[in-house]
Amino acid sequence: MQVGPIDVDFLLTILPILLKKGALLTLELTVEAIIFGTIIGLFIALFKISSIKILNLIGGFYTWVIRGIPLLVQLYILYFGFAYIGIQFSPKTAAVLGLSICGGAYIAEIIRAGIQSIDKGQMEAALSLGMSYTQAMRRVILPQAYRRLLPPMGNEFIALMKDTSLVSIISMTELLRQGIILNSTYFRAMEIYLTVGVIYLFMTTLFIYLINRLEKRLAIYDSN
Amino acid sequence: MIVAENVCKSFGKLQVLKDVSLTVKKGEVVVIIGPSGSGKSTFLRCLNYLETIDSGYITVDGHPVGKKKLPDGRLVNDSKKNIYRLRSQIGMVFQRFNLFPHLTALENVIEGPVTVYKIPREEAKERGTELLSKVGLADKADSYPSQLSGGQQQRVAIARALAMQPKAMLFDEPTSALDPELVGEVLAVIKDLAREGMTMVVVTHEMGFAREVADRVVFMDEGRILEEDSPQVIFSNPKHPRTREFLSKIL
Repeated sequence: MQVGPIDVDFLLTILPILLKKGALLTLELTVEAIIFGTIIGLFIALFKISSIKILNLIGGFYTWVIRGIPLLVQLYILYFGFAYIGIQFSPKTAAVLGLSICGGAYIAEIIRAGIQSIDKGQMEAALSLGMSYTQAMRRVILPQAYRRLLPPMGNEFIALMKDTSLVSIISMTELLRQGIILNSTYFRAMEIYLTVGVIYLFMTTLFIYLINRLEKRLAIYDSN
Repeated sequence: MIVAENVCKSFGKLQVLKDVSLTVKKGEVVVIIGPSGSGKSTFLRCLNYLETIDSGYITVDGHPVGKKKLPDGRLVNDSKKNIYRLRSQIGMVFQRFNLFPHLTALENVIEGPVTVYKIPREEAKERGTELLSKVGLADKADSYPSQLSGGQQQRVAIARALAMQPKAMLFDEPTSALDPELVGEVLAVIKDLAREGMTMVVVTHEMGFAREVADRVVFMDEGRILEEDSPQVIFSNPKHPRTREFLSKIL
């Protein structure tokens, strides 16, 4: 069946391949990058607001370097650069590493802004009860920052998901690379890449929906 | 109970505390009055080490605040652990309540005992409920701070401080952020505490309250204690011209 320039029967042939051997891996990469990126981001954010000078410097240096170099270049360095000096990462490792390191820098800035937006009196009240700085952070500051963080974090997660397409250049087979492989067999670029695009759109929409739901669930109290 | 000797403190070039010395005995209620910017709040915050002091010496119940005496008599910065323990033993109530907005009233009250003293949640809840009844808010246990009036929030904040079973309480202008009609309910709770013999230092602009509750009133201006005496003397026959001038404006 033909709809305009698009052959529906052909779509039905490539769709399962793109989903099973592409989209699933993209999702996996995204989730892993979010998890590791958030862990990195949390530590870098705490470094940046710490009263210890050396941690400030490390945090500042990290975000400065990582945000200042294109992710694509970082991936080249990680995969080809390190291989050249004898450290060969698998495409998967390099991909997760690169995406997490890069995402971590942006997430750090989001978390830092979130923590600093919490009223200073909250930390003082927690300390005045005898809590340690760590307890105050964990029990009082972070739970409040968490909700404010969700909207910008959602944006970052979506950006990360789209950025996973960059790892196709280090021969990591995810959604885009699967499309490239199919195209080298069928030479039907429009149908293939349009389908790839629609699958990305579907996945980002799903993410937005999930984050919105989480936001609503956390909106049980009004923060002052 | 609380002894401060020659406490000095500067923020940058501005010296906010100049040789402040004050002794608060066990069970005593000391009220600090004075114009804005006189260093009252800063002094109060030094007492539980929310602010560090530049020079001088503060002890609470015999323990130096934030400092430790070495065998040779030198003073060095105390361990964090000791500072945390000190703070847990001094309750603090803030002008702007500073309740934890993500927790209910009862959760606010039990947060300290559960996190700091590691008291089992159920046990802490029992005691927390008692404290909320004490401040007249038993029925608000499950309300979030945003659902409470200012006066109710401040009473929860007092219960939260009391939950740590402090040896002394510090009040930093506890009614200044309240609508006038809500001031009374908060002061009533503080008066009850005074009657029970709680050691307290209160910074306030409520002169009627000071007169009624204080064992001693301290007048501060420009970082110095200019006068301290019984409320009778301070309010009817102040010696220092600055005290007289201040009271004539405010009363």
